[in-house]
Amino acid sequence: MNVPEENDPLDALLREQNVYVNDAGFAARVIQALPRRRRTWVRLVILMTAIAISSVLAVLWLPWKNLPPLDASDLTAPNFPMLLPWILVISVVGSVVWSLFSLIPKED
Amino acid sequence: MSFSDADLIARVLAHEDSHAFAELVRRYQSPVRAFLLRMTRGDAHLADDLAQETFLKAWRKLSTFRGTAKFSTWLFGVACNEIRGAARKRKELSLEEMDAPPPEATSPAASTGSHLRLDLTEALKVLSSNERAAVLLCCQNGLSHEEAAQVLDCPLGTLKTNVLRGREKLKRQLSL
Repeated sequence: MNVPEENDPLDALLREQNVYVNDAGFAARVIQALPRRRRTWVRLVILMTAIAISSVLAVLWLPWKNLPPLDASDLTAPNFPMLLPWILVISVVGSVVWSLFSLIPKED
Repeated sequence: MSFSDADLIARVLAHEDSHAFAELVRRYQSPVRAFLLRMTRGDAHLADDLAQETFLKAWRKLSTFRGTAKFSTWLFGVACNEIRGAARKRKELSLEEMDAPPPEATSPAASTGSHLRLDLTEALKVLSSNERAAVLLCCQNGLSHEEAAQVLDCPLGTLKTNVLRGREKLKRQLSL
């Protein structure tokens, strides 16, 4: 603690002017402005459920067995009918991974 | 029955208890608002806006409060960040800038009793923002030099220099 000098007139003046500021509704205004957040566990449950459902649907519906083999020529000279199933798979898997990342708590 | 700050903080963190947070706001609104009023050179609207933002930020970031410092010290740190943020937006009131003293406040003030309150307010305006913050935190709000340096995010030596310079300027202005 920085102890002010008893006899220093400046310290005395600063102490004297350290008056109480009346609340005058300030605390109520702050409380009213607080963001209403869902509880963290509710958010977690919703996200986990969505990820679980998306994963099941992805496993069931995506054409895993019919994915055409990729070779370098498809990438250098894009063959859209060949790449379409891959784009679909990458999009869905990417969305699921993105959702998983969003579960990681982050600082404001 | 009076709860300690730690109890109230624990309730806020565990249950998002707005009543517990309201009690914290009531406890600390006075020093935070008074500090911000001085830092904004008497702009009551801006000071109250910044104070409100300070407490809202405190609500959002309370989980980052580790309890190693006093809650009031942590809160002053949040308030100083709000001042810096406002300064970046408004390009004024910067904690880093060396404010030029306002012309009407450069001459030593008369230090007769009834005018001292006004004189101190005016004299504080002569200080740079860094000096003002350092003097207010250490000499008016009772923070240690180490705590104030932590709040203002500056080296301890710089903080001590700012307190010393600020006090000298104030004494000169007030003819003390």
